[in-house]
Amino acid sequence: MSEIVIQADNLCVAVGSKKILNNVNFIAHKGDVLALLGGNGAGKSTTIKTFLGLIPPSLGSAQILGQAVHQNTQLVRQKVAYLPESVMLYGHLNAIENIRYFLSLGKKPTSEQVIHATLEKVALQPQAWQRPLGEYSKGMRQKTAIALALLREAPILFLDEPTSGLDPVAIDEFNQLVTQLSAQGVTIFMVTHDVYGACHVANRIGLLRDGEIVDMFNAPENGNIDTEAVHVAFAQGGRT
Amino acid sequence: MIATLLCIARDEWRYWRRSRLALSLLIIALILAIASVFVTHTSMQLEAEQRTHLQTLAQQKFADQPDRHPHRMVHYGHYVFRAPPPLSSLDPGIDPFTGTSVFLEGHRRNGATFSEQQQSSGLSWLGTLSPAFVMQLLTPLLLIVMGYGAMTREREAGTFDFLKVQGITPPYLIAGKGLALISAGLLVFSPFAIGAIWALINGAEGSATAMFLVSYVLYILIWSSLILLASTLSANNAASFSSLTCLWIVLCLVLPRIASNTATVVVASPGKLETDFAVLQELRKLGDGHNSNDPAFSALKSSLLAKYEVDKIEDLPVNFKGIVAQKSEAKLTKILNQFSEKQMQEAQDQANVARQFGWLSPAIAIQNASMKLAGTDLENYHRFLREAEAVRFSFVQSLNKLHAENVSYTDDANKYKDHETHHRAKVDAKNWQILDNFHFTPLAADQRISNSQLPLTQLLMLFLLCCGVTFFAGKRV
Repeated sequence: MSEIVIQADNLCVAVGSKKILNNVNFIAHKGDVLALLGGNGAGKSTTIKTFLGLIPPSLGSAQILGQAVHQNTQLVRQKVAYLPESVMLYGHLNAIENIRYFLSLGKKPTSEQVIHATLEKVALQPQAWQRPLGEYSKGMRQKTAIALALLREAPILFLDEPTSGLDPVAIDEFNQLVTQLSAQGVTIFMVTHDVYGACHVANRIGLLRDGEIVDMFNAPENGNIDTEAVHVAFAQGGRT
Repeated sequence: MIATLLCIARDEWRYWRRSRLALSLLIIALILAIASVFVTHTSMQLEAEQRTHLQTLAQQKFADQPDRHPHRMVHYGHYVFRAPPPLSSLDPGIDPFTGTSVFLEGHRRNGATFSEQQQSSGLSWLGTLSPAFVMQLLTPLLLIVMGYGAMTREREAGTFDFLKVQGITPPYLIAGKGLALISAGLLVFSPFAIGAIWALINGAEGSATAMFLVSYVLYILIWSSLILLASTLSANNAASFSSLTCLWIVLCLVLPRIASNTATVVVASPGKLETDFAVLQELRKLGDGHNSNDPAFSALKSSLLAKYEVDKIEDLPVNFKGIVAQKSEAKLTKILNQFSEKQMQEAQDQANVARQFGWLSPAIAIQNASMKLAGTDLENYHRFLREAEAVRFSFVQSLNKLHAENVSYTDDANKYKDHETHHRAKVDAKNWQILDNFHFTPLAADQRISNSQLPLTQLLMLFLLCCGVTFFAGKRV
């Protein structure tokens, strides 16, 4: 069994008296693609934000590589890359400037050639590279953020609704990329409500409903998770 | 660490360069700063040359007077001019509001006249466009426009959390943005610093000039911290901008007015008319110095007659009229000085009360520090008035001495009877060389620095407080 990279241990998050996450437990090993499925307000984004150290847990713990995120936030953040649902990069900078800036902040300066190669890898058209991001479509911004995440060479990727707003071709390219990264040993944690996409790339899927994991699916050896079963469980609100 | 801060600061500058509003404002502020330094420097230099020239001219005109009765020269009078100190080219202080020269004559202690304010249009109460005005009032406004969105922009765009995940802690982000904001402030400050170096070449003392510049750097740091604090605590750009604009209005416009109003309430001082009447009442008790037969001088007459063992004042070896003029001037000056000192003390007490508001407003603290270090504050003005009075008393008494010793009582009493007597009642024109070269210089640098301890401490405390609060606010977001 490979090492545990991501672990939610009786994770509870409350805002005031409202419980957002309640006793959430899951584990992702190195190279796993763990997808958390759930409807709007299920607590998916809260789970990601807790693992990124943006929201403190009220009980239990969110751990990355055995370290409690809230006690070692800066240390943990060095190991992760994050792709938010709505890509938050600077509109006044072009793709290359954005990437270069964030890499400099993360103390990972990279050569121009590597940046170009990565942008090509995520299929962002070269004619768009020098345009300010404010003029990009959501898909193009998503690709830029993916390129940035890849260039950070982080062993753990957190993806928040990564395919929302992408066209079918881009979704396909993205799924291929996730599979490829997973094969390289990158652990990926994604939250989505795209059942088919999740089943296609993830080897573990958790169903989140009202802040609780109501079901967990594991892919068989060399196979994909049964889309039908997940879809039914998702439609029924969990518990197949 | 430094590399990350520089990276954030560089990006902020890139944002400003690409945002036309910020860039345009920065250019306008820079032009304004350069223009104000150039214009004020030129005008103050001209003013200094003019006042020095007029001082020489006044001395020359006095010395060039023909043979005259000494008391006519007492009333002919003399002018002294206040030469502006070198740093006044950056902060003219109260110079435009107070007079630049004093007419010195017998029996009167005149106030300073010919202030820029008295000679200009009514709108000049708003303040002249001096470099100090640009730095104290306009630079914070520019920094607000440039920096109000420093943190809220990140929050609104959603990049704040994204940056955190990249390992950039909010205090780091604030420090990086602060570095950019401070550098923008220093850019506008650079013509001011060049002006200070120019003043240094023109005779300003190094230590006072250095402290003068340090106080302005502290002021820029305080405003940069305040802007970042407001931007960190505000939910969005609009809230940040409006809160900072209100803060600027309160700190730069409202509090200075409240300070001066409070000072006049706390330290009440009588009006000019009231004071003038009180002075007049006291002076009436002294008797008429022009009239040696005034009963007020009968004791003096008796003592002199006894001293020289003569029966009549005509037999005295000195001119009794001159002695009366001397004694009368001394008594009169004592009373005038008492009132004047009281008035100056009241003004000083009011200024001291107003200065305490510097603990609340950096604008008040910098105004005081700047004027004190430049030598253009109230204390220096009072020094000028005192020095002018010393010159007045000295030259009037010198003339009275001439009157007592060089003009006989008989000639003096009969000077209008015939041409011959009138001529004998005059003294030789060479006696008019009694005036020393008057050149007003502000307090020595170490004295000015020591006097500006309070506003400098206020600036330092406000800086530490703002930095501390901003840092803790950054840690909590």
